Amino acid sequence: MTTILELKNVTKQFGGLTAVGDMNFQVKKDSISGLIGPNGAGKTTIFNLITGIYNVTEGDIIFENNKIQNMEPYKIADMGITRTFQNIRLFKKLTTYENILTACHYNTDYSVLDAVIRNKKFKSGEKKLVQQVQALLEIMELTDRKDVVAANLPYGLQRRLEIARALALQPKLLLLDEPAAGMNPDETIKLMRLIQQIRDEFNLTLLVIEHHMDLIMGICDKVVVLNFGKKLAEGTTQEIQTNPKVIEAYLGEEDVIC
Amino acid sequence: MSAFLQQIINGLSIGSVYALMAVGYSLVYSIMNFSNFAHGGVIMIGAYIGFFLMTAFELPFIAAFGLAAIGAGLLAVTLERIAYRPLRKRNAPFLYFIISAMGASIFLENIVIATIGPTFRTYPRVFSTTPFQLGAISLGRLDAVMFIISGLSLLLLIYIIEKTKTGMAIKATAYSIRASTLMGVNTDRIIFIVFGLGGVLAGVAGVLFGMKYTVYPQIGFITMKSFIAAVFGGLGSLPGAVIGSILLGVIETLTAGYFSSQYRDLIAFVLLIAVLIWRPSGLMGKITEDKA
Amino acid sequence: MDWYYIQGILILSGINLLAVLGLSLLTGFTGLFSFGHAGFMAVGAYTTAMMTVKLNMPFTLALLVGGLAAATVSLIIGKLTLNLKGDYFCIATLGFGEAIRLILDNVQYFGGARGWPGIPRETGLMNVVVWNVIAVIILVNLIKSRHGRNMQAIREEEMASQIIGINVFKYKMISLAISAAYAGVAGGMLAHYTGFLQPRMFQLIKSTELTIIVIFGGLGSISGSIIGAIVLTSLPEILRTFHQWRLVVYGASVIFIMITRPQGLMGGYEISITNIKKLISHISSLGREKTTVGGDNK
Repeated sequence: MTTILELKNVTKQFGGLTAVGDMNFQVKKDSISGLIGPNGAGKTTIFNLITGIYNVTEGDIIFENNKIQNMEPYKIADMGITRTFQNIRLFKKLTTYENILTACHYNTDYSVLDAVIRNKKFKSGEKKLVQQVQALLEIMELTDRKDVVAANLPYGLQRRLEIARALALQPKLLLLDEPAAGMNPDETIKLMRLIQQIRDEFNLTLLVIEHHMDLIMGICDKVVVLNFGKKLAEGTTQEIQTNPKVIEAYLGEEDVIC
Repeated sequence: MSAFLQQIINGLSIGSVYALMAVGYSLVYSIMNFSNFAHGGVIMIGAYIGFFLMTAFELPFIAAFGLAAIGAGLLAVTLERIAYRPLRKRNAPFLYFIISAMGASIFLENIVIATIGPTFRTYPRVFSTTPFQLGAISLGRLDAVMFIISGLSLLLLIYIIEKTKTGMAIKATAYSIRASTLMGVNTDRIIFIVFGLGGVLAGVAGVLFGMKYTVYPQIGFITMKSFIAAVFGGLGSLPGAVIGSILLGVIETLTAGYFSSQYRDLIAFVLLIAVLIWRPSGLMGKITEDKA
Repeated sequence: MDWYYIQGILILSGINLLAVLGLSLLTGFTGLFSFGHAGFMAVGAYTTAMMTVKLNMPFTLALLVGGLAAATVSLIIGKLTLNLKGDYFCIATLGFGEAIRLILDNVQYFGGARGWPGIPRETGLMNVVVWNVIAVIILVNLIKSRHGRNMQAIREEEMASQIIGINVFKYKMISLAISAAYAGVAGGMLAHYTGFLQPRMFQLIKSTELTIIVIFGGLGSISGSIIGAIVLTSLPEILRTFHQWRLVVYGASVIFIMITRPQGLMGGYEISITNIKKLISHISSLGREKTTVGGDNK
């Protein structure tokens, strides 16, 4: 298996505060990797660095042999990396259908002028997008909610829609930030299956931040543990579960494992 | 050289009045994160109150002055109640506040035109026009009074903000309105006080401004320049507003003195754009990074 | 009220509508607020007038040049200030609008602050209507395309837009330029309706008025903007007999709208054939429900 993403000595400082320090890890293509650690360990910061929302202070982020650190977020999305957010960021006033349709914009290339004069290129382009959206709605089981405004969807479906929207980009690497937050055990199990199904059907690589240990231990090929912005441990789920350093860190913060 | 010094002194005097107005914009911005364009209207009403108390009621200067300040303060607080509080309770986006403020400003300006009329009115002369002579430099008595009153008012404001419990609460609320609510600060009361303080200073500034120039309904537009000064210094920062105002006052008088008074207004707006481009957070403002 | 008077009101409404449509794209669909659109109108007005008066260009072509000039200026402003956050962009546009006006005050070539009389009166009801129809069609087609959707995505959630690969800055620029072009053409039409130009016509209050109309109609609704432009331009004209009091009422109603119906007249909905059909079927289904259920608790 080849490496799709690599963080090399990545450091991010805010003022004098080091949020992420000298971070190194690799993500293998077609794998599901987990990123865990107590609150404030720097997990979301790493996602923000990979997706270009923050600039790195030092170090390299390499995606498919290209350095992507400090690139504009939309260009990084262009290269095939996208994500979901811990505090769901949907286009709230648009419907489920429109949310996904908007994200499909890549898969056609008509210009502003084409749109204004409604020519053939525009029509065939839109048709292609509509088909793609319908396919995604089917797979993600959102078809019956397609005309519901995103803000009115139940919480679980909002998370699901956010994943659907990300998939509309046909990404190579998908970052999920606490996809199971606020879900009950039943929903979490469903989500686990969905994540695995997505990986197989869309041929993509996943990096997941999660506090639900069942989910991490259930689906991840590899786990990276963070603490205070540093890498504490890295390995298979088994290795992590028996690693004394991890146990110590987690016992110190009892309320984190839920 | 003495001509230059003369310009600087004139600049300082007008700058100090800008500062009185600018702190009103900055105070509100620091707590509520929007530009209160109705502030100009409050300044104008303050100027009119002072004018009528001194002419129609023939009150002495000091009394008229104090009553104008109180009147403007009351007006500012009332405006907050009517035009902003409902928006605040609903967590409306900042633009709604700005539009509401613009509505208030249109309302105030035109109610004055409709009732009192659009004519320019001149304050009765309180101070002799013979200036103090300091060597080659002359300092108008009114200018000196403006400078002293503005300075004293600003010092009082700084004292309230820095040394009193209420001031602490204002600073806490400016830092984080949510956190301070959780800590038991009554934000409604703080906002009431902030508008009151801003309004009182607006009244003082209005009277001074009216005495220096004239009183007319569109005075509010001139006060737009004090808003520029607040942006210049960094919206939300009180020292920034004061420094920005003094600088703007000096730059303006120098422009008028050495180029042409026609460019005096233009330079202010050009300066505004330039500051926004090179240093959007102003001289003293803080830059924040968006959180995902 | 004679036809000439009514026609005058309709032309003014149409001119305002053109500028409002542009602002609607920027504010209602892209989520950017501007207090400088009077400035773009001024650029368009003076450019168009220069083309017809000094260069004898045909009116339609001159309007296009005016629109283009406004768009070009907007791109420069946008390049410098569009990456500012929230109300700082808004303040920058305000500064720009006022600066344009004050510069024009000092340009003697255009008559300075005293004004510029003798501009041919070429704007009539007919060309105002034609321009507005074209403007609405362009706007609707744009909004119902991937480009328009990208703009709406930016309005809804800027960070998520970037994450799905939208070049936020580019789309803000496109939106601003189109919006300024509309304002520019509107300015050109205004110049050739009044036959007279003065920098005072493009004060901050004009920009405010345009934004108020967009909000009154409902952000993100083209039909709302259309109704808003017609109602809010003609009302003050009809109320002209009340003279000074009308602006007092105007100011008070702006506050009233903000605190009572912030979503505007249309609340983001459109009046379109499909929506009317939907509404009718919705009402009839409600009626049916009532007959079957007996309407006990709904």
